[in-house]
Amino acid sequence: MKALTKAGSSLALLALFTLSCSSSEESSEVTPDTGATSSVTEALAVTTSANTSCSSASGVAKVVCLAEAFKTTLSSSQVSTMQLTYNQTNTRKWSNLPAGMSARVGIDLGSLNDTQLAAFRDLMVAVLEVGTSNEGYDEMLGNLVADDYLTTVGGGSDYGAGNYYLSFLGTPSTTGLWEILFTGHHYTQPYTFNAGQLTGVTPAFRGVEPASAITAGSTTYQPFEQERQLFATMLGGFSSAEQASAKLSATYSDLLLGPGQDGKFPATKSGLKVGSLTSDKQALVLNAIKLYVNDLDATSASSILTKYTSELADTYVAYSGTTAVSTKNDYVRIDGPSVWIEFSYQGGVIIRDTPHPHSVWRDHSSDYGGN
Amino acid sequence: MMNSLLRTISFTKKRLMFAIQIILAALLPFTAPAHPMPNSVVLLTVHENRIDAEIQIPLSELEAATGLPVNDPEIGSAQRFEQQLRAYLLTHTRLQSPNDQYWRVEVGTLSFTKTQNTINGTYRELVAHLRLVPPAGADTRRFTLHYDAVLHQVATHKILVSISQDWETGQLAEENPEQVGVIELDIVNNRILPLAVSLQPGNAWTGFSSMVKLGMQHIAEGTDHLLFLLVLLLPAPLLFSRRRWESFGGVRYSLMHLLRIVTAFTVGHSLTLLLGAMGWVHLPIQPVEILIAVSILVSALHAWRPVFPGKEIWVAAGFGLVHGLAFADTLANLSLSTGRMVLSILGFNAGIELMQLLIIAVTIPALIALSRRPAYRLIRVGGALLASVAAIFWIIERAAM
Repeated sequence: MKALTKAGSSLALLALFTLSCSSSEESSEVTPDTGATSSVTEALAVTTSANTSCSSASGVAKVVCLAEAFKTTLSSSQVSTMQLTYNQTNTRKWSNLPAGMSARVGIDLGSLNDTQLAAFRDLMVAVLEVGTSNEGYDEMLGNLVADDYLTTVGGGSDYGAGNYYLSFLGTPSTTGLWEILFTGHHYTQPYTFNAGQLTGVTPAFRGVEPASAITAGSTTYQPFEQERQLFATMLGGFSSAEQASAKLSATYSDLLLGPGQDGKFPATKSGLKVGSLTSDKQALVLNAIKLYVNDLDATSASSILTKYTSELADTYVAYSGTTAVSTKNDYVRIDGPSVWIEFSYQGGVIIRDTPHPHSVWRDHSSDYGGN
Repeated sequence: MMNSLLRTISFTKKRLMFAIQIILAALLPFTAPAHPMPNSVVLLTVHENRIDAEIQIPLSELEAATGLPVNDPEIGSAQRFEQQLRAYLLTHTRLQSPNDQYWRVEVGTLSFTKTQNTINGTYRELVAHLRLVPPAGADTRRFTLHYDAVLHQVATHKILVSISQDWETGQLAEENPEQVGVIELDIVNNRILPLAVSLQPGNAWTGFSSMVKLGMQHIAEGTDHLLFLLVLLLPAPLLFSRRRWESFGGVRYSLMHLLRIVTAFTVGHSLTLLLGAMGWVHLPIQPVEILIAVSILVSALHAWRPVFPGKEIWVAAGFGLVHGLAFADTLANLSLSTGRMVLSILGFNAGIELMQLLIIAVTIPALIALSRRPAYRLIRVGGALLASVAAIFWIIERAAM
């Protein structure tokens, strides 16, 4: 009898031990340094496509095909949330704030199931460059992963990949005017189509917090680090006289032409004229521009790059702060006849006292496809 | 004495500032839909002969503009730059009347605080109080504000200018500040334009009637004043023996008794409202608030068992004096000129009386009707008990603040 109670109590102890072990395992699962994946970013990290019906199409026709394919995965009420009218109110609904603080239009990724997310991925893969780490589609994914991370370090439920929105403004077609608008906290990318042509890919906003690397699954992302490094390389490549003429006297703690500042390009360009530089230094400027334009699929990117290259001599480079582009309020601007790029290394919001980048790519004439 | 006075001022200021911060935080998503960096805020209080300005400047932006390391996590350490910052504010604040004459600018207190809003989270800021005085004969409602602190250097900075108090248009500090403009870089032309301010003319009547409204609001929302009065009236229709409340004393008896109590309370609070609002008497607000809670407890005890039977009038008048001091605090915070203050006291008091009358008109018939019944004892004792609980809660809460 005594032995029986003894056995019983040790069994209970064992059970208790096992229980406590499993619960401590659960609590150690969240490791803030490596970030957290959400079901959204896990679904978007898949590299194979389920779509077969659009593979024969190309160009805008393919985009329309994939956009329609995405729509067919949605319920009718989801379609009415996502498919909206093309007008200035809707096309301007983007911000550098989380959607919870500055409302977006369209459908949030958080409400999509895996089939729908796969169709979304197929569409984005067609309009973004694929296969380069931290550029194009990978840059977008890294941005979502970073925003997921912010939810775990004090950002709360306003942040995270689920709070990024997709909308079709106007019905997708190879004849009419319509836009794909993908926008969330640190990422906004519009594609305006008209009469079967891609007529605008700006204003495109890029930023990321934290600026440091984040690992999700087996991949490490640092989606906006190359841009920062390339700006530093560009400025560092200038002579001290060139740096002096590129230097702005004002301080910039943010972008000048962020959301809501449409069409306010300075009447007079500031800084260093690229045409005054040697060809290898001009190439440094072009390389920086490429990191923005080459986020797009190769066909779209090449026609835009051709234009920006032809205008390179009349393009100006300016900066404020340090040439290392590594301290708070460091700022770089590229202002051409068409291209406008701003990069601001600014104070942290969720991760205090650590700078993070905000950047905007605009076009003097084709923001919102000129509409 | 001086110390407690200062404490009083900072206590009420804190409450005001807290209210303003909450309001601004609520406004921010709309006024700045996309700005991740905190803005400067200029809040103007418009008087007849001067404007008082409260200026809030985020220290991160001030540091970027001046090069002074003011954005130190150790918030008090910025105090050592006070002299430089005063000079800096003077350099970057100019007001001009339509005839081009400049105003006199005086920099008052500077303080450094932590604040927060939903977009920027917690951040540190400088709060400066400036006095802006137009040249003789010029009015305070039309001027050009040349204010470019931080913005002269930080091109992306924004300065939101609002009117927080404007007596003659009936705008009071307790409401949302009304934005009159934003001072920011004109990006296209790379220049900073000053802000032209032209305020709608108001008049004494608008100011007066807004004070009547404020007085009514004060009683309607001031649960403690209301409770004191109601509890004091609870046993008023009853006759009393030495130890206990007896039966209904008749309609005439009740009416007269009720009206005398209410009048005595009114005389008491009107007197201290006048004295306090004119600045002739100033007591720290905390003991006043505690005393108000005590007054409820005392009148609740009296509603249970006659503590001061027949002397309700004197008690009502005495505690009226205390309640009046709290009313006065609301007005004193407006820091108005004598003429406007007199009008405000009249209006505010009229508002208080109107609301009191309204409440009495509703409750007296009910009291008279109910107090004839034996079950009135339950109402009286139950009411007294509830009021005591509330009073004790308030005493503890206000003592702990």
